[in-house]
Amino acid sequence: MKEKGKGGRFLPLLLLLGPFFGLWALFWLVPLGMGIDLSMQSPDFRPAHREEAMPGQTAPTSSLSFLDWRSAPEEPSADAPRYVGLENFRKVMEDPKFHKALGNTLVYVSGSIAVILPLAFFLAACLRGLPRLTRAGMVFCLMIPGLALPGVISTLFYLFFHGREGALNQYLVIPMGFDPVNWMMDPSFIMPSLILQAVWRWTGLVTLFFLCGMEAIPRWQFEVARIEGAGSWTRLSRILFPGVRHLAVFAGVFLVVDGFAAFSGAYNLLGGSGGILDSGLLLVTYVYQVAFPGGSGRFDFPGAAAMSLLVAPVTAFLLFLLLRARRALSAR
Amino acid sequence: MKRFLLHLAPLPVLVACIYPFAWMFFSSFKTNREIYRPAQLLPEDYEWDSYSALWSGEYLPFLDYFMHSLLVSGGQAILATLVTAAAGFAFAKFGFRGSGWLFGVAVLVILVPKQALAVPLFEWMAWLGWQGDLWSLALPGVASGLGVIFFTQVFRKVPGELVDLARVEGLSPVRIFALLLPLVAPALVTYCFLHFILSWQEHLLPLLMLDDENLTLPIALAKLKDSSHRIPEAVGMAAATLSLIPVVVLFGLCFRKMKTALVELSLS
Repeated sequence: MKEKGKGGRFLPLLLLLGPFFGLWALFWLVPLGMGIDLSMQSPDFRPAHREEAMPGQTAPTSSLSFLDWRSAPEEPSADAPRYVGLENFRKVMEDPKFHKALGNTLVYVSGSIAVILPLAFFLAACLRGLPRLTRAGMVFCLMIPGLALPGVISTLFYLFFHGREGALNQYLVIPMGFDPVNWMMDPSFIMPSLILQAVWRWTGLVTLFFLCGMEAIPRWQFEVARIEGAGSWTRLSRILFPGVRHLAVFAGVFLVVDGFAAFSGAYNLLGGSGGILDSGLLLVTYVYQVAFPGGSGRFDFPGAAAMSLLVAPVTAFLLFLLLRARRALSAR
Repeated sequence: MKRFLLHLAPLPVLVACIYPFAWMFFSSFKTNREIYRPAQLLPEDYEWDSYSALWSGEYLPFLDYFMHSLLVSGGQAILATLVTAAAGFAFAKFGFRGSGWLFGVAVLVILVPKQALAVPLFEWMAWLGWQGDLWSLALPGVASGLGVIFFTQVFRKVPGELVDLARVEGLSPVRIFALLLPLVAPALVTYCFLHFILSWQEHLLPLLMLDDENLTLPIALAKLKDSSHRIPEAVGMAAATLSLIPVVVLFGLCFRKMKTALVELSLS
């Protein structure tokens, strides 16, 4: 429905869109601009308030140690040239650790989507036939890990699934005849354990999505399937799956956005480091490491800013793939 | 028999989801010695010491932090819901010149999340003189791209005749928006809840932004844990249990509406 009149139309729309775009400009566009500006600056150029943080970092391990350095006003005290152009981007692109972190994050995001969506679909298909109240109760229980704080999640997760006596070792690895896996120390198992943590956390929510999607499927479709004598596989792929695909895309977008912002889980599980051989290093963790290094005192804000800006194209690409997948699914 | 097995299949997952949290709850009554044996579920006797320690603020002003979290998350969720719903309504029902372009620009927010902008956001807040303040945490998340997409979808499904009718009656878009709000209540509640969870769980921004006296729960929990075992583990468990309560209560309240909204969304 296109607008015909002008003039009087403009103001009310401004009232509707204004608050959003006001906040959008203030708390997204301006920081983004500052980030771009910052990413062009030389890391050796230090405004005074960053200088203050350098001397006497006494408690490098405490996550809160840098909280004290923030009050001085910004006073350029340049001895190096301030702007270095795209130098920081070049450095970041050549940084092997950045590649590692980027690769890890991609594995983390795609891995958790690849596990969560099918698992949640399976669970929803199982739960669908249950009586209403039982089903609601079960979904509620499945949701609990998603409701807890990530810090709590990683503590409990480590305790119950990843410790030497954890459930994964006791009930899965040892019965299958393998040696108990040291989940947090073995570089090849850190990423799976981060993914499993994401799975534990979000499967319930996605299951809820899918259950609602399945509830919306009209009854007659199942009737027809029954009369035609379709097997359970046909029912699954031809009725249940198309019924949830919109929600699957929505859940996928949610998981991608959350996965790229993932910080807390890995931060708690690995104590802010990337784990052994950086095999658990995620992008935001690395940005944080570069911006606020615990001991070394090299506060590379510009580098960190450049890095965060490089994340955007990657997210864009993943979302683009998801939307393409959606179109392909809808076309069927 | 086959159906029975199918119904049984989710049970291991269910146990995996609940048991650790049950253990967390019971551990808030345990002594340190008991906690270090994770196989033991129930405490030997129930001591409320850790809860009273939190209540009286013995280790840190837990109640204050709790209130901060509630204020920030609740305020941000409500504000975000209203603001993005208004924008979504405008995008869905008023095709003005450049609306597609504007929509694209709004959705760009998704590509650079606030966590990625943490460092410049921090400098910007410092320049504004808001750093350390709760506002500096609550406001940055309000302009959410996901919210705009979600509400544009939701309002597209509202019959156009309703809006046309209201316009013929001479109501302004803002009035129409206000009148339509009850119609999309399930979607509002759903989005509000999701936003609340995400901001409740936010860890990096409060770590950077907030002053020591303004901390929120995730940081408080981290602090309770890493203070070199001076604090009994049960206190951390009690705090974790308490931090779960508001979200679970909210989820219980929103559950029905969320289902309605999701069913509607899946039909689009």
